[in-house]
Amino acid sequence: MSQQISRRDFLKLAGVGAATTAVLTGCGPASRYVTRAPYIKMPEYTYNGLSTFYATTCRECSAGCGLVIRTMQGRAIKVEGNPDHPVNLGKTCARGQATLHGLYNPDRITDPIQRVARGSEGGTKMDWDAAIGIVADALSKNKPDEIAFLVGMAPDHLFDLVADLAKTIGAPAPVRYGALGMFEARTTLVKAAEETFGQTGLPFFDIGGADLVISFGANFLETWLSPVAQTREFSKMRRGQKNKRGYLVQFESRMSQTGAKADEWIPITPGTEAMVALAIGRLIVEARGLALPPAFANVDVNGVVEASGVTLDALNRVAGLFSLYDRPLVIPGGGALGLSNGLQTAEAALALNALAGNFGKDGGVFISPTNPLADQYHRPASGREMQDFIQRMVDGKIKVLFVHGVNPLFELPKKLGFGGATKYVPQIISFATFPDETAMEADYVFPDHHGLESWGYQKIATGSASSVLSGAQPVIVPFFNTKSTVDVLLAAAQKAGGALASAFPFKDEVEFMDSKLASLLNVDGFFSAPEINTFAAYFQQYGGWWKTTDNRIAPSSADVLNRSFKADAAQFDGQGDFFFVPFVSPILGEAGANKPWLQEVPDPTTTIMWNTWVEINPATADKLGIEDNDVVRVVSDYGEVEVSVYKYPAIRPDTIAMPFGQGHTAYGQFAQGRGANPADLFGPSVNEAGDLAFGSLKVRIEKTNKKRQLSRLEGVLGVYGFDSK
Amino acid sequence: MATDLQLPVFTNNSENELAGRWGMVIDQDICTGCQACVAACAMENNIPFVGEADAGYGRTMHWIRIERFWQGTFPEVKMTPYQPVLCQQCHKAPCEPVCPVFASVHSVSEDINLQVYNRCVGTRYCANNCPYQVRVFNWRDYTDARQRPELVTLQNQLNPDVTVRRRGVMEKCTFCIQRIRHVEDTAQSEGRDVRDGEVVPACAQACPADAIVFGRVDDPTSKVSKAAITSRGSHMLEELGTLPRVTYLAGGSAQ
Repeated sequence: MSQQISRRDFLKLAGVGAATTAVLTGCGPASRYVTRAPYIKMPEYTYNGLSTFYATTCRECSAGCGLVIRTMQGRAIKVEGNPDHPVNLGKTCARGQATLHGLYNPDRITDPIQRVARGSEGGTKMDWDAAIGIVADALSKNKPDEIAFLVGMAPDHLFDLVADLAKTIGAPAPVRYGALGMFEARTTLVKAAEETFGQTGLPFFDIGGADLVISFGANFLETWLSPVAQTREFSKMRRGQKNKRGYLVQFESRMSQTGAKADEWIPITPGTEAMVALAIGRLIVEARGLALPPAFANVDVNGVVEASGVTLDALNRVAGLFSLYDRPLVIPGGGALGLSNGLQTAEAALALNALAGNFGKDGGVFISPTNPLADQYHRPASGREMQDFIQRMVDGKIKVLFVHGVNPLFELPKKLGFGGATKYVPQIISFATFPDETAMEADYVFPDHHGLESWGYQKIATGSASSVLSGAQPVIVPFFNTKSTVDVLLAAAQKAGGALASAFPFKDEVEFMDSKLASLLNVDGFFSAPEINTFAAYFQQYGGWWKTTDNRIAPSSADVLNRSFKADAAQFDGQGDFFFVPFVSPILGEAGANKPWLQEVPDPTTTIMWNTWVEINPATADKLGIEDNDVVRVVSDYGEVEVSVYKYPAIRPDTIAMPFGQGHTAYGQFAQGRGANPADLFGPSVNEAGDLAFGSLKVRIEKTNKKRQLSRLEGVLGVYGFDSK
Repeated sequence: MATDLQLPVFTNNSENELAGRWGMVIDQDICTGCQACVAACAMENNIPFVGEADAGYGRTMHWIRIERFWQGTFPEVKMTPYQPVLCQQCHKAPCEPVCPVFASVHSVSEDINLQVYNRCVGTRYCANNCPYQVRVFNWRDYTDARQRPELVTLQNQLNPDVTVRRRGVMEKCTFCIQRIRHVEDTAQSEGRDVRDGEVVPACAQACPADAIVFGRVDDPTSKVSKAAITSRGSHMLEELGTLPRVTYLAGGSAQ
């Protein structure tokens, strides 16, 4: 950063007064290098009580909501939504709000460190020059195909750099992964769209335009794909239409937060979603007296009633809704897809949409817009691809592993064996901001800035009808001695010299981003600029760039109903008595456990805080002689966990459920040693799309005769005997 | 000439007062229980977290919570529509007359209930008398970084517009009075009235479903007044005659 200019000088130059409530981010190229230090000596343009607002992008999940961060005297005070941003239109979720507890988290990694031994606490502090030297050596002294990059689903500018870097040196393309991507079964969705429409891309479900939504396990109000956008659209669906109230039907075996909002919640045997969808299709066609298309010809309605536990009346009623409402929409998602027949479920749901004739129409199914940088959607790796990756580690084909933005030791099911495979990798370099499990197992940790201290962009995968590139900028000066991973990699490339140095002639992260943004010059959008400095300044000020048109792609629906669809019963591993439904904690997500305020935000359905529970139907619990707060051992063929019981009224008696998000063995004082991780029970089986069939499990319960109180917000009698952890 | 100390005056309910000033409408039909309001409120108002054990004993400091109840048994089981519960800013607030030290008083200018932290001596009478259970008490020094070292970095996030409370003090939702004041000051310095929708409390600002509408209930043209005119509207425990300023729109299939 050669051209340093203080914020004070810049603002004097530009003649801009104190910001009050407007988004002020500086308007010229020079402002890209502004230092946002805490004001020990207050610059004269700030007044006590007035804030400065910076637009940036949320990194708590990969949805990429636009944020405006209120800062005061160089400190980030409050997260607010960016009202202009097409994804979230000024709104945020609880995780977005709590991102400040990540920024100012007491357990952040403060300096680059070299671990004395893998798994040991702390390590030897290094300086950044030495760190860059180590990265440069790792890049240049290993054979290219022995270098592996494992990155998270955000941020995209880092993914782009790593992808370019891998290409330049001839290393395998970076692998993306995130537990949310696994639980959302993104690969299955993409594959279903490909097979049904013959088009690649992530499907887009226009909830806001529909007046009837039938969801097969899609937890779209919680963590699925783009929850803030979907919640807004749900609100529009339900109450935003003139003289009509939108209707939601949810098929699932355990009432999720989304299911709680449904007008009809229909408990269903796990794994029978595909056949139920096809049966509904058949009933609709028969009720209308039409010729039965091949899509629904093979399904036996009575057999479905028996297998699924859904009555014929209920099926007929749901089929009847299709005639009652103008714009029905069917959404497959979440747990329903993470089963051995998940792909069939996704395709059967798309067939129902084809029957409703909603492809490419308001309230129907689309393909999500291509991102403004016009490359394809880089979906996270599926379970099968991660198994291949781990196999490469075990085979000794990976000599150096770079990890950023993902915590595979926690987010990948234990059974896949990432933990055991690390010992075959001679060098692991982590760029983690927090001391997570994977950072503990790394040889070096070169901490990246927190998302709010970082530059970047995120290509919006779905959630907005227009094509969006969301922009991020630092809102405060880095709080600790951390360094942007993009800067580290760029400096390492220079240090390595040769082809690598000449391929990445960028001075820093900002220049690298500019090189990518250059393709957007003179393109029509929310704003348009003829040269890069002006573009970058607007990009920063508005928190991104987006088109103002509807860029969703209408799927071709020509032949969907003439295909024949399969609907097998799902396969379940294990001999236990219970189906197992793991779900992502709507509050914690995959990485929220280290934020104390998120821990204290009650779960929407059980109101439990600070821990993990297992949900058991009260009748089942009574039969087994299990009470609330009894610790039970949940055992699958692949592992076991001990967890307290919550008697959950809205779950099938043959099913138990557990939230994902806790059970960390590292990750700071608020997360470590708290709760249990349901992923420890998962097996290695995958569905036809390659996504992990995490729900294809039968488990059993063993009593332990221990009790452990769960903290709940809802009233409980006799609350005594808590321990602190 | 006697000096006018401008002390708060308690008067009978004139019609003017009954019209109220600030109010809120919460649509339970679109509230998804996502807890964004809960987190936003905590971040805006410097609400401390208390830890697992204290949370289990019911000492959480949430100024807004989302209630839900179960109805029926499986398979005919339903969850009642999510209901965010916050201080209802009653016009005739049961918490006010019981405070021996006048820490719980009524603002004449804003027609909301105030909690004066530096008057509060922690008798907790107000919490006992509040039918909505929305007052929370600082059982410990939750905000003191000398006692809680994890706060040393976290306290950088504290909002300087809002007082940090210490042990022995009762607290509750203020309708984000700091935001109301800020907007009123801005409007005054610009020589105009406060516009409808200009004041947005943290909960309403975050709400992804836009289930919370805030504004002037004494202005029949305001968004909040219009939203309240529906057969779905009701006040919580309105039979108590507390005249709450929060209107709930029923969820479920009601029209």
